[in-house]
Amino acid sequence: MASIVRLQNVTKDYGQGQALTHALRGVNLELEAGEFTAMAGPSGSGKSTLLNIIGGLDRPTAGKVEVDGRELENLSKTELGLLRRDRLGFIFQSYNLIPVLTAIENAEYVLMLQGVETVERRERVRQVLKEVGLEGLENRYPRQLSGGQQQRVAIARAIVSEPALVLADEPTANVDSETGKALLDLMRELNEEKGVTFFFSTHEEAVMRRARRLLELRDGVIFNDETNNNGDRTHG
Amino acid sequence: MNTLRYGWRNLWRNSRRTCITLAAITLSTAILIASYGLMDGLMRHAVSNATNLVVGEVQVHAPGYRADHSIYKALTEPDLIFQAAKQKNVAAAPRRYGYGLVAVGTKSAGARFWGVDPASERTTFDLAQHLDQGRFLPETPQRGLVLGQKLARSLQAQIGSEIVVVVQAADGSLGNDLYTVMGVLKAAGDSIDRNAALIHATDFVELFVSGERIHEVALNSRGMVPLDKLTELLSIGAPEEEINSWRQLMPEVSDMVNLFDAFIWIFGLIFLLAAGMGVMNTMLMATYERIREFGILKALGATPWRIIRDVAAEAVVLAALGTVLGTILGLAGSYYLQEVGLDLSIFAGTYSVGGVAFDPIWRATISAKMVYIPVVLMLIIGLFASLYPAALAARLDPVKAIHRP
Repeated sequence: MASIVRLQNVTKDYGQGQALTHALRGVNLELEAGEFTAMAGPSGSGKSTLLNIIGGLDRPTAGKVEVDGRELENLSKTELGLLRRDRLGFIFQSYNLIPVLTAIENAEYVLMLQGVETVERRERVRQVLKEVGLEGLENRYPRQLSGGQQQRVAIARAIVSEPALVLADEPTANVDSETGKALLDLMRELNEEKGVTFFFSTHEEAVMRRARRLLELRDGVIFNDETNNNGDRTHG
Repeated sequence: MNTLRYGWRNLWRNSRRTCITLAAITLSTAILIASYGLMDGLMRHAVSNATNLVVGEVQVHAPGYRADHSIYKALTEPDLIFQAAKQKNVAAAPRRYGYGLVAVGTKSAGARFWGVDPASERTTFDLAQHLDQGRFLPETPQRGLVLGQKLARSLQAQIGSEIVVVVQAADGSLGNDLYTVMGVLKAAGDSIDRNAALIHATDFVELFVSGERIHEVALNSRGMVPLDKLTELLSIGAPEEEINSWRQLMPEVSDMVNLFDAFIWIFGLIFLLAAGMGVMNTMLMATYERIREFGILKALGATPWRIIRDVAAEAVVLAALGTVLGTILGLAGSYYLQEVGLDLSIFAGTYSVGGVAFDPIWRATISAKMVYIPVVLMLIIGLFASLYPAALAARLDPVKAIHRP
C-alpha cells in the first residue's frame, strides 16, 4: 500500500517564554491508503493539532510532513488550499454546514470549488447522499435536519470529491451514542466498500474499538500504535 | 450554488439589518435621481429660456465681428448658412446691427439698432412674445420700433411715442428718420434692456444704407439637434465664418450649468458614500458573525479570491436591490416633479439670474443619464465598500476561525 501521510519528527510549539506549550513533540507517523485509523487521547494531547498539520491548516514548528506525496513545507497557502480541495476531506466535530445552503448544496460545495459541471455535480452528490442515507432529504436546510443527519451531510461533503484522505475531528462527539454508532458504521462501510481512507480523532471507547488502527497520543507524543485488521479492534 | 444566489440567501440571515441598509441605499438612490432630475430640469429650462428668447443655440458672424461691432464686418455668404440650417430643419434668423441716437422730446440715449426679419424672429425665437407693452414688429415695414425695457424707461417713451433717430450710415452719410414706438420688451438681459432698438430689416437697410449686409445669423433648433452636430454642420457649410455656440456666447450661463452639474455630483457622492458606509457596516457585521464559516470554507479549499468573490457578491446584490428600488422610487418622484413641479411662486415670481429668466414652477426632467450614473456609481461604491470586509474574511487563519466560539 502507498503512503498517504508521512510525518517525520514533527513538533509544534505555541507561545513563547514561560507560556511556551509543546503541542507535538517529535511525532513520526505513516498512514497508508485504505486505512481506517483512530487517534485517541485526552483533551490537550495534540489530536486536533496533528489533524490540522496533516490537513495543511497549520504548519509544524519543525519536522517534515508529506501528504499524498507532497511536502507541505514547500507549498504556499494557495497550494495548500488546492491540496485540501482536491485531495483531502474534512469532517468537523460540530458538523459546520453552511446554514443557508441545503443538504445537496452543502455536499456539492467542494465539487463546485473544483469546477465540476452542475449536471455531473448534482448526479454525484445525489448518489453520495443516497449512500449516506439522506435520500429524500436533499433539499432540506441544516436547521431542518437532526444532528446525525447533519453529520451525514458533512460526511457526504467530505467524500464526494473522492479524496485521498478524510480527516475527521471527533466526528461523533456531538451526537448520541446510537447516532454515533450509526455514523461510524457508515464511515467504515465507506472505507471498506469504496476504499476511502479515514483518519479521525476520538475520546470515546466505542469508537476506538471500531478502528482498525488506533494511535494513542499523550502530551504530544504517540505512545501506542495498535493494529487489528480482522474486523473490530479489541482494545488492550 | 450560484454565487449571487448564495449572496442573496446570506443577506436574509439578518433581515432587519439588511432592510435598514436597503432602505438607506434605496433612499439615497431615489433622492439622487430626483435631485438630478430637478437640477437638470432647472438648467435645461434656464438654457432653453436663454437660447430660445434671443441668443439661439448657435450664432454665425464674420470673423472678428464680436470683438469689433463694425457695420462693415458682414457675413460674406449668409445663404450658405441658411442652406446648412435647412438641411436639418433648423430655424435661422438674420440680423443687422448698427449704432445711433434715439430721442423722445428732450430725452435722448445711445442705442444699438437691430434690423430684424419679424417673420424669422417669430419662427426662431420667443422674443416676439416677450413684450411688456404693445406689440412686436409687423411683417411689413411701418417705421415701427420695439425698445428694450430700460431704454424705453430712460426715454420715457410710451406706445405710440414718436422717436427721432439719428445714425451714421454705412456710406458715411448721416441717416435720420422718425419712428413710432410699437412695443417695449420685458426684461431680456442687461444689454438688450439698456440699448436695444428693434426695427424692420427693410427700414434698417434704408436708414443705414447697409445694402445686403447681414451681421449675424442666429440659429435655434429648440434642442432638436445636438449642439456639437449643429456647430459641425455650420463649420462645413460656412467654413469662412465665425461660429459660436451659446456656451461661448453666454459663458456665465455655461459656467452656471457646469457649476450646478458639479454641485449635484458632489451632493450625490456624499449621499452615495453614506449609503456605501451602510453597505460596509452591514458586510463587516456579516463577516464578523460568520468568521467560523469562512474558516470552514477555507478548510474545504476555498481560495481567498473565492471568499472575496462571495462577500463582494453579497454586497453587490444588496446594492443592486437597493438601486433598483431606489430607481423606481426616484423615477416616480421625478415623474411627479416633471408633471406637477415645485411651486416656488410664494417665494418669488419670475426671476432672473445672470440675465437668464427662471419660472416660478420648478420642474424636473427625466433622462437616461439621471438613472444610469447613480445606479452604476452605487454598484461601484457597494462593491468597494465590500472589499475591506471581504479582505478580512479572505485573510482569516482557518484554524483560528474554526475554533472561534
